[in-house]
Amino acid sequence: MIELKNLTKKFGDFYAVDHLNLKVETGEFLGLLGANGAGKTTTISMICTVLLPTEGEVIIDGEKLDRRASDVKRKLSVITQEYSMRQDMTLEEVMEYQGRLYHMKKKDIKEKTEELFAFADLSEHRRKTVRHLSGGMKRKLMVCRALLTDPEIMLLDEPTAGMDAIARRQMWSLLRRLNERNITIILTTHYIEEAQALCDRIALIDKGKLDIVGPPQELIDGLGKYAVDLIEEEDVVSHYFNDRDQAIEYLTGMDGKTVMRETSLEDVFIERIGKRISG
Amino acid sequence: MGIITVLWEKWTEFKRDFYKITLAAMITPLLYIMVFGFGIQITSHGEPYLYFLIPGLVAMSTMNGSFGAVAQNMSVQRLYEKALDQVMVSPTPLWQFILGQIIGGSLRGMYAAVIILILTGPIRTPLVFNGLSFLIMFLNGMVFSTIGITLSFMAKSHTDAPRFSSYIIVPMSFLCNTFVSTDQMPGGFRQFIGALPLSQASAMIRSISHGEAITWYGIPILLAYLVVFSAISFLFVYKKNNL
Repeated sequence: MIELKNLTKKFGDFYAVDHLNLKVETGEFLGLLGANGAGKTTTISMICTVLLPTEGEVIIDGEKLDRRASDVKRKLSVITQEYSMRQDMTLEEVMEYQGRLYHMKKKDIKEKTEELFAFADLSEHRRKTVRHLSGGMKRKLMVCRALLTDPEIMLLDEPTAGMDAIARRQMWSLLRRLNERNITIILTTHYIEEAQALCDRIALIDKGKLDIVGPPQELIDGLGKYAVDLIEEEDVVSHYFNDRDQAIEYLTGMDGKTVMRETSLEDVFIERIGKRISG
Repeated sequence: MGIITVLWEKWTEFKRDFYKITLAAMITPLLYIMVFGFGIQITSHGEPYLYFLIPGLVAMSTMNGSFGAVAQNMSVQRLYEKALDQVMVSPTPLWQFILGQIIGGSLRGMYAAVIILILTGPIRTPLVFNGLSFLIMFLNGMVFSTIGITLSFMAKSHTDAPRFSSYIIVPMSFLCNTFVSTDQMPGGFRQFIGALPLSQASAMIRSISHGEAITWYGIPILLAYLVVFSAISFLFVYKKNNL
């Protein structure tokens, strides 16, 4: 289990993460959603120990996480937003370096690398240097690298950024399979449908603070299962209803162009976060 | 284990960039030998200036080789490639990572020094380089590796590393017993320059090369620098808020 207790990060006077309290159960798939600059990446960076918290702590399976906690860090693997790897190494060298950093045997590194490269379709590129790969291939390599060490916890900071729709769906399917193996996953993403499709629970973060947390359907139900959009000249105004008949009654009573649909997680995001940003 | 991992990483880098690294280690000292050693035919303390210059260049090469291998590499990894993030999150103890960088950097410095010795080999000189000379070269390389690590953690952008080199390494190259003895510097400044690690390393390597005894305080001074900058490096890697 991962516990974030009063986790805070200040840059000068600015609170990037503001007393965040959150528990992620073992095997859970949690999505961290928020607008740009909400504090998602800062939170992940603190769990990676790249950033040290100004206040608060991260507890993993009862042990406090810090830069000295090698046993706890052994459980973690991260896919960062940026291509955080040596650009002058070959794909094979990237994997070997990772395996060595996690104290794996050379034979195991080799076997697992073969398997992961075959799975990710990277085998024929194994001797290329990272800087010669396309963005999508670098992402795949990051996934292979993260999986090499059999992590118990995966931190994924926008893992599908820059991927095409097909590659993204492949990644979703992979993440589902990993989660079925009881790997705890914390995912940040800007694709809200991705979070809705994959996550057991969603934590919405706004200006570094936890706004709401719960299963996607529960958050949607909290707003209303049905949405009626009134399409005006420059804007769309949505009204939410839990009762279908009420929604239909509202819809029929409206003049102008209207659409009735099921509420999505994106509606929750817009209502709770978007409206605060746009004032 | 972590030390071996870093040394492996440095070795892959060395193999890949062998020609670039070798050429870079050769050019500057070779120019100094050509210009100051052969071009300006002067004598120093009654012997060819080359005898004074070569030990200084050997010490300087260990400094340049070690500092360059660590400072530039670590700055790029930390600020540009973000590859250091992967080390931070891994279970490899960070002290082992730092120690690996120090040893790896120092070995690169030793390589640069060995190139000078090979290049100057055909010149018949009475200079002697023995085990103690190599120990001092290694120690000097370790000192400048730790300085490289410290500065790479202080760098705000990856272009800072060459700047640090201009502020620290280039002045030391010229002032610290490489081309001229620190004895010729004005009082006050002489003591300051004389206490810098390169001055000590140059003086000791030169003394050995001339068959003279080294000063008793040279090695303790280098060790003191090593302890101080290692401590700062460890402090940064464990305590720096934003790596």
